[in-house]
Amino acid sequence: MTMTNGQMYAAALTALPGMTPRRLHMLMAEGSPEEMWERIASDSWVVPGLSHDFAETWNNVNPALPDRMREMCDRLGIWVRTLDDTDFPMMRGERAQNPCVLFGRGDLSHLRLQRVGIVGTRNATAAGKHFTRNLGGDLAQLGVSVVSGLARGIDVAAHVGCLEGNGSAVAVVASGLDVVYPREHSRIWNQLGEQGLILSEFPPGTMPEKYKFPQRNRIIAALSSLVVVVESRAAGGSMSTVREAMNRDVPVTAVPGNPAMKSAEGTNKLINDGCQSVCSTDDVLVALNLGSSCLPRVEPRRPPTPNGQELLELLAGVPRTIDWLALATARHVTDVAIDLGRLEADGWAQVTNGWWEALTVRA
Amino acid sequence: MYASVRSATLHGAKGDPIMVEAHVGMGLPGFTVVGLPDEACKESRDRVRAALLSSGLAWPNKRITINLVGSDERKGGSAVDVAIAMAILVAEGHIAPEAVMPHAFVGELGLDGSLRRTTGLAPLVAAVADLSVVVPANGMAESAICNPVHLRAVNHLGELVLALRGEAPWPLIDLPTPEVTLPSIEDMADVRGQHAARFALEVSAAGAHHMLMVGPPGAGKTMLAKRLPGLLPRLDDGAALECALIRSAAGELAEAVVSNVAPFRAPHHSTSLVAMVGGGGGSLRPGEISLASGGVLFLDEMGEFAPSVLDALRQPLEEGVVRVARANGALEMPARCLLVAASNPCPCGYDGVGGCDCTPSAKLSYFKRFSGPLLDRFDVRVHVTRPSTEELLGSSKGEDSATVAARVQRARELALERQGCVNSQLHANNLDAVAPLTHDARELLRSHLESGRLSARGYHRLRRVARTVADLRDGADEIGEEHILLAMSMRVDVVPRLQHV
Repeated sequence: MTMTNGQMYAAALTALPGMTPRRLHMLMAEGSPEEMWERIASDSWVVPGLSHDFAETWNNVNPALPDRMREMCDRLGIWVRTLDDTDFPMMRGERAQNPCVLFGRGDLSHLRLQRVGIVGTRNATAAGKHFTRNLGGDLAQLGVSVVSGLARGIDVAAHVGCLEGNGSAVAVVASGLDVVYPREHSRIWNQLGEQGLILSEFPPGTMPEKYKFPQRNRIIAALSSLVVVVESRAAGGSMSTVREAMNRDVPVTAVPGNPAMKSAEGTNKLINDGCQSVCSTDDVLVALNLGSSCLPRVEPRRPPTPNGQELLELLAGVPRTIDWLALATARHVTDVAIDLGRLEADGWAQVTNGWWEALTVRA
Repeated sequence: MYASVRSATLHGAKGDPIMVEAHVGMGLPGFTVVGLPDEACKESRDRVRAALLSSGLAWPNKRITINLVGSDERKGGSAVDVAIAMAILVAEGHIAPEAVMPHAFVGELGLDGSLRRTTGLAPLVAAVADLSVVVPANGMAESAICNPVHLRAVNHLGELVLALRGEAPWPLIDLPTPEVTLPSIEDMADVRGQHAARFALEVSAAGAHHMLMVGPPGAGKTMLAKRLPGLLPRLDDGAALECALIRSAAGELAEAVVSNVAPFRAPHHSTSLVAMVGGGGGSLRPGEISLASGGVLFLDEMGEFAPSVLDALRQPLEEGVVRVARANGALEMPARCLLVAASNPCPCGYDGVGGCDCTPSAKLSYFKRFSGPLLDRFDVRVHVTRPSTEELLGSSKGEDSATVAARVQRARELALERQGCVNSQLHANNLDAVAPLTHDARELLRSHLESGRLSARGYHRLRRVARTVADLRDGADEIGEEHILLAMSMRVDVVPRLQHV
């Protein structure tokens, strides 16, 4: 896994101050990374379209930067791929819209032929996360790559599900591969580097910043053959992935939700606008043109009691409080609490801030 | 020349009997008070002089020294005014020493010679209850609650002097019939819906478990907490009197009401450390935690209290007394209260799922103010949600407080009979003996511990609450699966956990 000179200089170019994907494209279009590095180190240089203001800044950049990048990447187990490399991932859309240098950890073979991008809100409901986790697990078993952004909520649920199914989990992140964000994902971050694939267009050491997340979203869209939006607010960040996917003619599907839920505003609107709705793994397979496949369904959970079943039906699609459930079933609140406790212990229901959700929907 | 008269000063929630000595002698005319008086005591010089003159009595133009006996202990308050005036009059020979011997004098003097009530009249009178106590007439009812041997109520210094000289009878002032204006207890029947929270209140009252309610604004947390005193057992006579004495010492006993309803205190979150635990002023005023003793201390918006104030609650809650030490002495005040706290679930207070705009780190920092050891004190932790329209309109009236209180009483009796203490005070070593688990319950606890839903810290508290649940439901000897499930439902994760899925 030694780094070629071209990769080393390309990595150094990404780390120049003021570098953007567009400017990187301009530089890389002019010549090989090595040539360009030498050119910006010399006193006078011209790159069409690039302001001359950069001349001075880049002239003063430490000439040891390429060596430092190589040392850093080797130490962190990060590899670099440029458009010149034969195994640079295939991406949808115009070349100029997509990155020309990628940093990665893990195995590129996890980018299978079929890749499903699963995106959604960070503020996900327990039911949404449950659905996503199951979907990730099913796709793992079918040999479909699951691409997501390793954010809180839906994203990480997709990764967890896919890794649980020993599948091909691919994460695209908006910071350097050594800068774990959010911090609580450090375990799964490393797990993805070892058992899956984790990609970034930013060099190691880059801090996550607000504007970098939409940039990251375009890579998710470009890598996916289908995008599934599980939960999203009307103006959520997932909508930028949707836009990027539509620009690249990547089909977008959405999981419908209860109109009363804030977390379903975005997805319901997408379906309204003509996106295909997805309620199960089979629906995703149809959208991928893989045809419906009958997955062996093994339900590991102890089946709920009849009373528990009644509660689960009342909880379908919308969270309820225990008082509401007691009123709806006309039973005593302590009896309802006991049944809910059993459902929770067996993994059928979950409570957040006093609101119960059913974890029944199988992907 | 010399005289001594009995009186009392206030020390925390208790009165201390003292002697007031007066010496009137030759020398440059002057008036000094010694014996570590505080500012209010020193000012009594001017009040006493004016009161004597207003009452038509002569002011001796001599050197007057007043000593509050017990020269090494600070004394505060204006309750020694009358005793000082009496001592001067006896020393001057206006009143015979034998006439004041059987009496103790408690009260403040007005410039016109009238006797006025002071803060803490009840504990002051209690300190000298073995004597005949002379009190201001308008403080008679308050003074009467601790049943002194003899109570003399007087309106004016002139009357008092005449009575002591035997020139007029003691003024007959009837003890005002104590109006039975018990503090209105809010009834549980007024609560619509909120059945889960009601049950949590019942458990909290039955086992004396401290309780934390987390819920959005408008969910009814305060309304629920206010109803807790009505569920607690009525105070016995001793406890009710202690409660009244503390209120008097804090200057809050407006009416002579010894209420046997558990007190309810809801200090604002700007409350200072001293106001919370006690010790303010020269006489070390009792704090909120002592005022709530025997009842409920309700902290609304617990996160807004200063962390030092919250942490200061820990030791008193554990030991049932608060020890306040100051340069001028240390004292103990009772602090056996049930702590009920309320908080929002997060800074934005969203009620529901998937609509909260707070970042996980904002939520975490919101709960950072609650120290772990304090959170650990809360056995019962519930989420309270706003009742839906159906609940407000559809549900029938809930049980009234009396019905619930009867169950609470039975559960408490059961616990006292079994182990001699309320369930919240059960020692961990005793749990296996008094709250044995059935096989199912043990398996359930095992799965909760293994899945991380229950922490090792919470394990014993959960078992105590389960004991209370069993006492309330069926009085079963063994703790079953259902009791554990119900106890779990009252042990929610208050502090959000950072987790993947």
